[in-house]
Formats: sequence, structure tokens, C-alpha cells
Amino acid sequence: MRVLLVEDETRLSENIASALRDGPGFAVDCAEDGETGALLAEDPCYDLIILDLMLPKMDGKSVLKRLRTRGASTPVLILTAQSETGSIIDLLNTGADDYLSKPFDLGELIARAKALIRRGKGAPHPTLKVADLEVNTLEQTVERAGRRIELSPMEYRILEYLIHRPRVVVSKRELLEHLYDYNWEHHSNVIEAHVSNLRRKLDAEAQQPCIETLRGRGYRLVIQREIAG
Amino acid sequence: MKRYSIVRRLIVTVLLTELLAALCVTGIALIYERHSHFRAFDVMLHGRADSLLGAVQDAEDTGDNVMLDGTEISLPREDVYEVRDASGRVLGRSANWSGASQTELQASDGSYFKMQVKDRHYRGLVLHGLRIVDPGDKGGGIPRHVVIVYGAPTKHVWRAVRDAVEFYALASVLLMAITGVLMAWLLSRALAPVRELAAEAAGISVHAWQFNPPEEVRRIRELAPLEQALRSVLERLERAFEQQRRFVSDAAHELKTAVAVTKSSLQLLHMKKRTAEEYEAGLERCHADCARMEEIVLKMLTLARVESAAAGTTAIETASDAAACTRRTAEQFASMAELRNVKVQVTASGPLSVRLSEDDFGLIVSNLLLNALQHSPQQAAVQITVEAAEGGVQLRVVDQGDGINTEALPHVFERFYRDDPSRNRNTGGTGLGLAICRAIVVKAGGTIRIESERGGGAAATVWLPGVGDGRG
Repeated sequence: MRVLLVEDETRLSENIASALRDGPGFAVDCAEDGETGALLAEDPCYDLIILDLMLPKMDGKSVLKRLRTRGASTPVLILTAQSETGSIIDLLNTGADDYLSKPFDLGELIARAKALIRRGKGAPHPTLKVADLEVNTLEQTVERAGRRIELSPMEYRILEYLIHRPRVVVSKRELLEHLYDYNWEHHSNVIEAHVSNLRRKLDAEAQQPCIETLRGRGYRLVIQREIAG
Repeated sequence: MKRYSIVRRLIVTVLLTELLAALCVTGIALIYERHSHFRAFDVMLHGRADSLLGAVQDAEDTGDNVMLDGTEISLPREDVYEVRDASGRVLGRSANWSGASQTELQASDGSYFKMQVKDRHYRGLVLHGLRIVDPGDKGGGIPRHVVIVYGAPTKHVWRAVRDAVEFYALASVLLMAITGVLMAWLLSRALAPVRELAAEAAGISVHAWQFNPPEEVRRIRELAPLEQALRSVLERLERAFEQQRRFVSDAAHELKTAVAVTKSSLQLLHMKKRTAEEYEAGLERCHADCARMEEIVLKMLTLARVESAAAGTTAIETASDAAACTRRTAEQFASMAELRNVKVQVTASGPLSVRLSEDDFGLIVSNLLLNALQHSPQQAAVQITVEAAEGGVQLRVVDQGDGINTEALPHVFERFYRDDPSRNRNTGGTGLGLAICRAIVVKAGGTIRIESERGGGAAATVWLPGVGDGRG
């Protein structure tokens, strides 16, 4: 998952980014002012936008308004030092999905971020199931047919992204965009290598392959109806 | 404190004035009525006395005697009279005649006098008349000199006078009563706008600053100054209140953010197992976050101290040497300047007294110098000049940094305003330094301005009144 963080207080921005990378393993891009934030926010590669309100050049509310006017549906979590109910109601009505008052708890921020991403992808429960595959996004554990499978962080992130979008073909490009921030060199063969490892681990003791490769288009989680039923 | 009512005072004043006027009118009426009634009385008295003269007849005896024929005349019974002839012989007198003094009887013709008959006040008249008694058919006859003393009681005259005065007095009392009632009603009507103004003013609170008195109030000339004064006071209060509210909100934002930074740094450190080196680095960062929070709090307290002092007393007797203070402050920043590889050049000679405490002047210099250092590129120079100017002292701090955006210039003295888009990366700053400078300078009665052009660096100029200068 990839998160855009728009926060002008550099130290806070660094801390949140570290927490999101270390904790749920999100890719995080940081913007330090409203204008940059608004520009980046329009990119559909983000699964969540964390937006501060008091920003130089363009305030958070204007960024949010512009984003929603242009039809983007990316979930937005507002960070605010204001605590008046009126301004919070106003923000939620403008198109914010959730808010956190400063000073906040990093654990709460991560939990809310995860919940927003889940809901944004239509999965209300933190444990996602497709056929005999089960991914617990809280524990970051994967089981297939009751058997625990150990994955590397990158492999887990790929699987987590795929399981959030069952039945949909996910291209390598999309995976790259959603799993890496701007600081990474983009190489699709990195993805290929990770997917190959992931597939090997998942299919080790199963008859059916778990991840389907559609040549030139991407990957898709296979849904086995007979088992799922 | 005793409360009193303007309405009541007005009514009492008017009624007292009316009472005075009524007393005057009644007094004048008394004099006038008395005068006119007595004139009529005198005429009547004269007429009655005259009629007595007509009643003097030739006595039916041999001599030339005359007598008073009382049967011919009809006079009020209470009147008294006596008729004598020239020799003093009494020709006739009324039944109730009680006599008169000699002086009265010898009084000249037509003179009036007071007399008392049976304890009643009478007014008398002495009339010398000539009566031709017994004229023959061919004329002639004997002229007889008679003296008539005639008196009538004044009771009726006085009663008439009293009636007239009573009428005036009653009319005045009635007028006063009508005036009182009418005034009370009219004043209560006229004062209705005052009550409306009060009701409107009472509706003002910190949540609702609207002050819209009815049109009627604004039309009243006497209320217009009050309404204007209220309006301007409210505007000033609202501005001050709004400023305070913004400051509190800004301060809360700054502090919450600072706390958020410190809290998140600690939580981040706690999120997973780390190596000793990582812990050490993390703790160092937490320490830096705390130091920053401390700086914000200290600066906010400094600003509050300076601003509250500005509202209260200004210590006029405090004075310090601006030149020495500038040199000392610049020395304190020497290591920081060296670290940033920026050269600080101080031009300050001779003692230059300013009417500020050393701490406050030092705050101005340190804040301006800190700003200059933070915005200076490597190898650049910051120039500080202190010199006498326009009866005071001028401090100038010039840097070779990027300068300030023209659109940012009007805001640089606002609290928490930062032109720097990334407020905390390299340059730091709390956004309070210049606000503190301005508060101190304003308190001392000086001026501060900042000029800049993009790429041309920024120049801060402070002018402060010198010691013994009358201004400020």
C-alpha cells in the first residue's frame, strides 16, 4: 500500500513516515506544502492520503476540496490541531474520511490508516479470505488451508495488495506504483522475482496455483469456486 | 452610590420652576386685585358720602340750621357715617357710629383713613361738601359747609381679592399637576430609545458582536455620540478579542504540533525492538524535539511578558548602552555563525543610550541576528550597525540571504508567521522572533521595518528613542 503524507512539520512528517514504513509496511511519499500535496494527491497510485490542515502555500482544506472536485476517491485522513466540532463537521462534509487531532497516538494513526485503506477497497474485516487463502492484516500473517506461510515483507505486501483486489488483474506497473515510494528505482523485474518467490511459497503443498499470470497484463488471485463454496 | 432618575429630576425641576412662577403670579395678582378692588371701593365710598351730602336738609326751625334727613337715603346698614357742619356741630350720624379721632375729623377733603368699628376693619373717607340749603324759586339759598365722615367695612373687598387670588392659585396648581403627568408620559416616551439602546448593548457577547441599534436611536442627536462611542469601542474590543483568539488558536496549534512531534518520536522508538545505537539516536532526536518545544514555550512567554508590559507601565528610567549590548549579543552568536560559516560584522562605537532594559534590547538584537543567520547562505556576511540617528539610536541588521517575498512582507511581524515553506528543516524558527521584536520596539516608542528584495537579502531597521528624548 502507498500513502501520501502532506505535513509541513518536518520532524512529525519523518516520524509518521517511519512508523508507516516500519509498522504496516506502507510505501510513503511526503509533501511539505499544500501545492505539492495537491499535485501528488491526484495520482491514483495512492491508497490513502494523510493531510495536515495548516500548510504553507495552500491549506489542507483547499487541497481536499480540489481533490474531491476532480473526482478522486482516495481515502483522506485529516491531521488537525483544531478540535472544534464545527470545523470537524465541515471537514467531513468537504470529503474527508476521518480525522485525528494532534497530538495523536502513532498506533491509532496506523490503525485508522489501515481501516481507511480496507474500506477504500471494500474489505471491512481486517482478515481477508479468498478461497483457502487467509491474510490477517493486523498480525501480517498468511495461512493457506490452515497452514502458516512465512513471507518476506515485500512478498507480504504484494499478496496484501492482490488480496484486497480479488478477481481483478493487477499489472506489474500498478504493483510498483502502490508498493514503492518515489525514492525507489522502478524495475518490473524486481516485482517478477518477488511474485515468483511468493507463488513458490504459497503453492508448496497445494494442488491449485494461487496466483495466475496473465501474459502482458499482470497477476490475478485465482478463486477456486469448488473450494470457496 | 445613590442612584437617581433623570426623569424624576427633570420633572421636579420643571415643577419647582412652575411653583415659583405660580407664586409670583399669585403675588402679582394679589397686589393688582387689591389695588383695583380698593379703587372701586373708594369710588363707591365717595358716592355714598356724596349721597349723604344730598341728605343734608334745612332744618325746620327758625335758624339757618341744617339737619341730616336720614329718611331720604338708603345706605348699607353696616356703614358708619357722621355729618357735621363747619362749626363742628353734629348734624347726624349712623346708629352704629362709634366715633372717630380728632385727626381724622380734621383731615383734609378727600383723604382716606383706616378705622375700626366693633373690631371690624373699616375704611373711612372725609368729605368737605358745600350744601346750598333751601334755595328759593329765584335762586340763592344759604351755602352750608359740612364735613362728612363716611366709613364702610373692607371685609367684602378683601373677600373679592381673596377669591381672585384663590382662582389664580388653583389654576396654577392644576397647571402643575397637568404638567407633571404630561412630562412623565412624554419623557418616558422620549427615553424609549435609550432603553432600546441599552437592550441592544446588553445583547452583545463575545460570541455575538453585532450592534445594530434601531434607526430611531441614530436619529436622536443626544444619543448619536453614545451610539458612536459604543460602536467604536465594540469594534476595537472585537479586533483585540479576535487577535487574542487567533493568538491562542495559533499557540495551541504550535504547541499541539510540538507535542505531536515529541510523542510520535517516543512512540516510534517504542514500536519495535531496536539496537542500542538506534535507541541512542532516537533519544537524541526526542531531546531535540523537547528543546524545540521548550523554545516555543519560552518565546511565547517572552512575547506575553513584553506585550503585557506594553499595556501597563513603561519603565522610562531604564537605559542601556545599545552599542555595548549589541557587541555582547553578537559575541554570543559567534560560535553559531562559525558553525554556519557566516561572518558577523558589528559596527558599534561609543556609548549610545536607549530607553530600554539591556535584556529587551538584547532580545531585539538576538532575534534579528538569529533570523539573519538562519537565512544566510554559506560564506555570506551579516552586518550589524548601531548609530545615533534622529535623536535616537538606529540598529540595522543586513543579511545576504534570499530576502523575503513581497507578498510575505506585510505579515512578517505577525505571530507564528513563517515565510519558509519548510519551517523546521534547516532554518528552524518559531515565527515569534519578529513579533517579540515589534512588541518591544512599540513599547519603547520606536519603529521597526524590514525591507527586502528577492535575492538581495533582507535589512531590518530599528529606531529607538534615546534617553532624554521627549518622544514616545
